[in-house]
Amino acid sequence: MRRDRPLAFLAFWTVSSLITLVPIYWMFVVSAKSRVQLFGSPNFLITSFFTENYINTLKDPAFQRYMINSIVVASANALLVTTLALFATYALSRYRLGGKENVFFWTITNRMAPPAVFLLPLFLLYTQVFVLGDFKLFDTRIGLILLYCVFNLPFAIWTLRSVIDGIPKELDEAAYVDGATTWQVLTKVILPLAKPGLAVTGILTWVFAWNEYLFAATLTSVHARTVTTGLAEFVTVTGTNWGQMAATAMLTLVPALLVLGLVQRHIVAGLTFGAVKE
Amino acid sequence: MKHFNIPGRSLVATVFVAALMTSTAPAFADFWSDAAKDLQGATIRGISESTPPSNYVKDVLAPQFTEKTGITVEFEATSWDQMYDKAIKDMEANTGIYDFVYIEQDIIYSYLARDFLVNLTDMLAENESLKSPDFDATKFTTFIDNFKNADGDIFGVPMEAFVKVYLYRKDLFEDPAVQAAYKEKTGADLKPATTHAEYRQIAQFFTEHAQANGMEMWGTTVQASSGHPASVYEFIESVLPTYGVYNWGIDTTTFAASVENGGKMNSDVAKEALAWWVGNLEFAPPESTSSTWDEVAATFAAGRAAQGLVYGENAAWIATNPDKSTVVGKVGVALPPVAEGVMDQAKSGEGYIGYYDGGAFGIPHSSKNKEAALLFLQYIGEESVQADWALAGSRIVHQATYADPKIVEQDAKVDGYYTLMKDQGPLFRGAPPFPFHNQAREAMAPFIYQAITGELQPAEALDKAAAAVDAELKNLGYRK
Amino acid sequence: MRSSTVGWLFLAPTLVILFIFGVLPFLYVLVIGFTQWNSFAADPTMQYNGVENFRRLVFDEQFLYSLWLTLKFGFFAVTSQILLGYFLAQLFMRDFPGKGFFRTIHTLPLVIAPIAVGATWRLMLVPGLGPIPYYLRQWFGYDLNISRYVDQAFLATVVMDVWHWTPLVTLTMLAALASLPKEPFEQAQIDGANRFQIFWHVTLPLLKPAILATVFIRLMDALRTVDEVWMLTGGGPGAATRYIGLHIWRVVFPKTDYGYGSSMSLITLYLTIVMCWLLYAGLVARRDLKRVD
Repeated sequence: MRRDRPLAFLAFWTVSSLITLVPIYWMFVVSAKSRVQLFGSPNFLITSFFTENYINTLKDPAFQRYMINSIVVASANALLVTTLALFATYALSRYRLGGKENVFFWTITNRMAPPAVFLLPLFLLYTQVFVLGDFKLFDTRIGLILLYCVFNLPFAIWTLRSVIDGIPKELDEAAYVDGATTWQVLTKVILPLAKPGLAVTGILTWVFAWNEYLFAATLTSVHARTVTTGLAEFVTVTGTNWGQMAATAMLTLVPALLVLGLVQRHIVAGLTFGAVKE
Repeated sequence: MKHFNIPGRSLVATVFVAALMTSTAPAFADFWSDAAKDLQGATIRGISESTPPSNYVKDVLAPQFTEKTGITVEFEATSWDQMYDKAIKDMEANTGIYDFVYIEQDIIYSYLARDFLVNLTDMLAENESLKSPDFDATKFTTFIDNFKNADGDIFGVPMEAFVKVYLYRKDLFEDPAVQAAYKEKTGADLKPATTHAEYRQIAQFFTEHAQANGMEMWGTTVQASSGHPASVYEFIESVLPTYGVYNWGIDTTTFAASVENGGKMNSDVAKEALAWWVGNLEFAPPESTSSTWDEVAATFAAGRAAQGLVYGENAAWIATNPDKSTVVGKVGVALPPVAEGVMDQAKSGEGYIGYYDGGAFGIPHSSKNKEAALLFLQYIGEESVQADWALAGSRIVHQATYADPKIVEQDAKVDGYYTLMKDQGPLFRGAPPFPFHNQAREAMAPFIYQAITGELQPAEALDKAAAAVDAELKNLGYRK
Repeated sequence: MRSSTVGWLFLAPTLVILFIFGVLPFLYVLVIGFTQWNSFAADPTMQYNGVENFRRLVFDEQFLYSLWLTLKFGFFAVTSQILLGYFLAQLFMRDFPGKGFFRTIHTLPLVIAPIAVGATWRLMLVPGLGPIPYYLRQWFGYDLNISRYVDQAFLATVVMDVWHWTPLVTLTMLAALASLPKEPFEQAQIDGANRFQIFWHVTLPLLKPAILATVFIRLMDALRTVDEVWMLTGGGPGAATRYIGLHIWRVVFPKTDYGYGSSMSLITLYLTIVMCWLLYAGLVARRDLKRVD
């Protein structure tokens, strides 16, 4: 590798990074100011931190409920998806199943379909068809947890496939020779070796579930609303209360930023369904 | 310490208060706790648009009610869009999330057509023990008639009612220097506009005046959001009628919109009205094309417009709340400018000059706590809570509220807004009784938006809008 | 290979969930698409009306405009991302101080919720608050108002998407560039090819699979875009940014036009699948060629 003109490179990347960061920084600035401070010309400096925007948001019982819902839905979905994807990829990798490659390809079509297409039928199914006595899937966390499998499972299966395929079959065979059951092979042999891959898949699944908006907005109302929906709702209510809107948005993206540190290396493989590896 | 000096007076006051307590309080307290004794610990959930009147219910009336009855009220005040989205989905799906919902005057016909709401008159008659002695439907203004069916049964308890008025900057209009400048420029005397031409002239004058003097101010507000139905509403409810085109230009018997089918939506007069309204954008602040009713009020309160049509629910805080408004004490209230002959039509009852808006709370059939919700609706419909609520939200639903001393006092501060609503209220009218309200609005909306952005000329926009509404209503089976 | 019954059992939960929440809704929308059903119509029940909805769709200017707009958005956004992403990836191939740090920063937008991205850009662009319109006016006298000017709003959504997703392209290209074999380049240099010739005849063909894969994933996602645009412009001004997802939402919910909205959904899905298939065929075709080699 050549190391040429380091200063020019440094300057270029600094500018490019600024372009990436300024919108987020500006949001932070707005969230740290009162209404009056935002009048007049834009000021990128934060002279005094106006904490009320954050306090008001965090104190709002509706926002608290949305936060809890988001955490529960994203975590439960990540757990469910990773488990089912492990089972599925194990089956696809180790068993002779007629048409399994077609099944494998078919799963991804669920991820590629435009979500807007499914809004109406899902809404009708959730309110009129999937009904048990008084129980409807509409506005329930479990409804969202199951639904998010539709786009997260294909993603997880596609990324995990290469991980499981990469574990030598000889290890399974050796365990079977030692008298292990299928379940034991899966939990004692495959699981430990697939752990890093499972962790990355789980974390990215979690982020996708946390970030989802359109389905949550359509299929929940009060009890199961998530933060992204809350943010959208909040913006229209407060109208010109930009400070509080920015604070809410900042709180929405905090978990994502934390996650970035954990999976930065694997994000490309994740977002391209394992098509591109680093 | 002042009260030491006048013991006699405070004693009298104490006795008086005590007397009041003994005469009314026990009966009062008894009814609410008696009626709610089986409902203790129940929780009811309601949804409304986040407006000053709604927030007063959320912050003041709901906690009071909880204290009296032991019934918890979860009051969700959200945006107009979300309110409809959630309420309609809930009633449509029969999920029973909400025990009371906000019914805006214009949507009641759709809700009644779909049989979403509980007949409150029947329910009160069937449940003697839940009937508050202080709730009396006859005390309401005629606004309550909007929420009755053909038999006169009530389906909603009015919680707000107001007119969309013409607000102007009284301080500027009465400033001799400004008056002189106006006279010099136009040759006319500066006074609130009574015709569209005058309105435009004033808008132009103030925009240029502000520019010349380095002020961040424009001549008029325009509720012209280019992607939100608020703009459609301002045009069809507040501008078209002032040109003598009523009911959105849709014929109320044949449900035809276009001229060729017998409607008026794309008549020459309607086109003139749209051209005038869109033309006002030239003299309006840049945020106008993203303004709904909230932003229009905020713009006026920030002193960024010299005049505008503003929903009355905001009049009180704009004129009196120094925390949110920079034009306290500077607000004048008048009737909107109208075309020739329209005022006479309005006076005779043939027409109207603007929008009489408001809403009520009703109970959806899907509610699982109808009894508790019924108690709550009666509570907010009582006379005793009305005056303070009117101060907070400049809304009046009871006849007697107009005469309340607090309101009389406030009336002076808002340049006679309440008097105007009382005396001139009949000149305004609510939305036409269309069961296809949202559908027709959505059909025409894209063309109004495109007229705002200038992609379509006003005439072209209305031709397309009328055709779209005609097609939609035919499709829906309303127009044969 | 082991007993297939156990294998299918392991696959079963996945297949059941995907069937109930993926296939069933599709079958449902397929049925509704052939009906006239608006719950606020004079007759609010579902009525079979054959292909009438589809007949109307062919002449529905707003629907066609929305489709066209979505394609235009996808084209501009993805093209800019590929060009910019390739350029940045090439620069990342060099060695320079702070590389890891800059890479992390450039990954940041990828994890942000689309709805928050919309909020971020709204704060940047709203007149009276955002720095962009302010400085454009101050320095260049340019009037930027995305709620008023159609082209500006369209451009704003493209810029937002480029900001959000270029990092993905950069990282993908970077991975692809790093895994390129050395020999063809050395050979080309020996043959005396200039930089452009090397790029055109060596780099590009070798990168083609990665580029196609990225275009495929990005294009599919761009055509699905709803959240960010909803937050930034709400589909306005006029219909300037009413991309197909937003358009369907408006028809189905505020207008409650279930039947017509469903047929619209079906057409959209069909077009997506066709496009998906064309791109995928392109990808697979490349792979097959390579195998023949």
